[in-house]
Amino acid sequence: MSGYVITILTQIVIQAIVVCGLNVIVGYAGQISLGHAAFFGIGAYSAALLTTQAGLSFWTALPLVLLICAVCGLLLGLPSLRLKEDFLAITTIGINFIVQAMFLYVPFFGGALGISGIPRISMFGEPLRGAHFLYLCLACLAVVASLCWLFTRMFAGLACFALREEESAASSMGISPVRFKLLAFMLGTMIAGLGGSLYAHYMRFVSADDFSFPLSIAFLAMLVVGGMGTLLGPIIGALILGALPEVFRPLADFRILFYALILLLMIRFQPGGILGESSLIRKRLLPQFLGGQK
Amino acid sequence: MGANMQLLIEQILNGLAMGSIYAIITLGLALVYGVMRILHVAHASVYTVGAYAGVFIFQTTGSLALAFLGSMLLCAILGVLIERLVYFPLLKHPPYVPLIASIAVMLTIEEVLRLLAGPQILTFTAKLPFPDVNLGGIHLSSTLIAIYVITIAILLFLWWLTTKTEIGLAMRATSQDMAIAGAQGINSHYIVSLTFVIGSAIAAIGGILVGIYYNQVYPTMGAVPAYKTLALIVVGGMGSVPGAVIAALLLGLAETLLIGYLNVPFPRDALAFVAMIGVLVWRSEGLMGSK
Amino acid sequence: MSDLLLEVKNLAIHFGGLHAVDGVDFNIKRGEILGLLGPNGAGKTVTFNLISGVYKPTSGEIWFDGKRIDGLPPYAIAALGLGRTFQIVKPFPTLSVLDNVLVARGVTRYPNAASLWTSWRSRKEAQAAMALLERVGLADLAKRKAGLLPLGNLRRLEIARALAVGHKLLLLDESFSGLRHEEIAKLETLIRSIRADGITVLLIEHNMRVAMGLSDRIVVMEYGKKLAEGTPEEIQRDERVIEAYLGRKGEANAS
Repeated sequence: MSGYVITILTQIVIQAIVVCGLNVIVGYAGQISLGHAAFFGIGAYSAALLTTQAGLSFWTALPLVLLICAVCGLLLGLPSLRLKEDFLAITTIGINFIVQAMFLYVPFFGGALGISGIPRISMFGEPLRGAHFLYLCLACLAVVASLCWLFTRMFAGLACFALREEESAASSMGISPVRFKLLAFMLGTMIAGLGGSLYAHYMRFVSADDFSFPLSIAFLAMLVVGGMGTLLGPIIGALILGALPEVFRPLADFRILFYALILLLMIRFQPGGILGESSLIRKRLLPQFLGGQK
Repeated sequence: MGANMQLLIEQILNGLAMGSIYAIITLGLALVYGVMRILHVAHASVYTVGAYAGVFIFQTTGSLALAFLGSMLLCAILGVLIERLVYFPLLKHPPYVPLIASIAVMLTIEEVLRLLAGPQILTFTAKLPFPDVNLGGIHLSSTLIAIYVITIAILLFLWWLTTKTEIGLAMRATSQDMAIAGAQGINSHYIVSLTFVIGSAIAAIGGILVGIYYNQVYPTMGAVPAYKTLALIVVGGMGSVPGAVIAALLLGLAETLLIGYLNVPFPRDALAFVAMIGVLVWRSEGLMGSK
Repeated sequence: MSDLLLEVKNLAIHFGGLHAVDGVDFNIKRGEILGLLGPNGAGKTVTFNLISGVYKPTSGEIWFDGKRIDGLPPYAIAALGLGRTFQIVKPFPTLSVLDNVLVARGVTRYPNAASLWTSWRSRKEAQAAMALLERVGLADLAKRKAGLLPLGNLRRLEIARALAVGHKLLLLDESFSGLRHEEIAKLETLIRSIRADGITVLLIEHNMRVAMGLSDRIVVMEYGKKLAEGTPEEIQRDERVIEAYLGRKGEANAS
């Protein structure tokens, strides 16, 4: 594998991890989050500060990073308890801008210069580079995906699904919307934080520009394109939307236009996503593979 | 009049101008949200198209009147196309679907503009047919006067339209409940498209005014207003046009005074959202929204 | 342990100027079936919503099994053994019928935080849920996605879910609405068997024949107030009740 492919794959895998986290919030629990990049950023900055200022390693800093993201997720999940759909959507957009502004203006976070000099991740005394770092990211993705799978098998997961489908009915069956919405937010942001930490150690430099609102939209787009609420949807979505700009690289100046058009067409004609319920893939291709069930 | 006082007044006038422009852009967004419950983020790119159309028509014909009319027509068509081709078919899906579609549309339009006209900043030097005014040492440019007058004219027009005409009544009924309006014999799809026409034409006016005021037209000029105007319709109370206008004026003043005049070290673009969260905490349906 | 399972005292809720429920008193004895009747707009569903926690009363008290429950959120009241159906059915559409019931079983099966992290796909659980589905006659549709079911089956699903939750009191909101003849008879039998199990039932019903036939006692509401209370025979002879329904002959004779 060439260095170029490894770089693209590493970015895709890290993004897939973050989108898995978004899937818990939006796909499993049915909450809107247009500010997911903010938690990705909080994870990245936490990792950056803990490893550069407090001298911790990636491994020892990780529990703290997860804790910080969980607390932030809890705080920023509170609006979802009081606000309805569109209000909530716009509030999460606002969270993006506010967190980004914090990174930019509060000197503790390095201001416009960000934080640099983040060390590489070491395993068994060896700093991980290139393909080895990619393997670590893949391992993390596997862990995250397994945890998500396990979550869907636990009652906590079923409760989130019920909440997503019909909140008032779920509540009259003993499921506390407060408890499970906040739970979903916390899980989702912790996973995003893991992705952020990996990102920080990969780029070895973080700044506020990396975590802006368009990135939140990109994450949501990956989730929607892949198939919201499915297990592999986040991964497929990250793969497709991560690879597209590279595939279109030869188109040079027309790259972004093509990306936007593909996104528009996908969303317009297959809003359920590639792995979604009524997608072409499910209806036409899968039955071929599985000998036509359903 | 002391220099400080003069500066303050000038900043207030600038703030009101900014607020008026926000109001013009937000109006279309609030109208659309009112009838369709869709966050029409792409509205900001319609506004950008308005600015470009305006500058090109003006440069080819030399007539500002033609620039305004041609731009309004073009944007009206664009707005209806977006509504019919993208939003209407997606109504039955959860709201994040049309939202992502809207963002994709905005990105597409921005890129098309960039590829057609280039990424550089174009100038839009034009003199609006209003007088320059000097009041006790304070200079109000013709552009500034134009912004105030045109904004007031648009607001008066909308007020007349919604309260004194049949069409306006139909619009209000549709915004309350599309199904019930339909049962009353109102063709709600027609009303929705008409709302897009009006909102987009107003956006075109906004685009041209901004282009002249700052003497700048560039492909991404819609990006920042796009999200601020979202915060504004929340603050105003989703779908409440008067609320959005008040919120817009207040934001324009706040941004200019707090940051331009008092030099408060706060990120200007985040102010809208902070204000929004503040208002929501106080009143969860916005300033003039209804539960 | 008191004879009274549910006590509603001077209950009222005001929506702005609208007094949807305006000082209502009634009680339900353990093991009885109480019918809540009244013309449209009388405030019956609002009363249900007040009892089940969907709304918070403006004034008054609600006591359930010796505990005061007005103002508690719906999930807390559900945990006390009060289950309800919704007039406009609210299934979990993308989940299977069986899974719908499994969700409802959660309130008794997973009482504490730790147990939430256990699997919900156990055989025992599936058997318990199937038993409920058999009772309402939906067992052969267990694997079907709930969103695809016709109304009659959805009403039965509502009841199955409410049964899973309401081991003490069941609130049935117009469960007979839109059902065909055979379905009505089956449902009547089901409700009687539920009462035979010791579960108390409060039902809202527009179908007069069903309401009179099933209920031990009846409370009639009108304009947010209690109009009359008594046995079905007493209510049928009550002048005020007849007056309230006058002009609504279609409903009084509803099949």
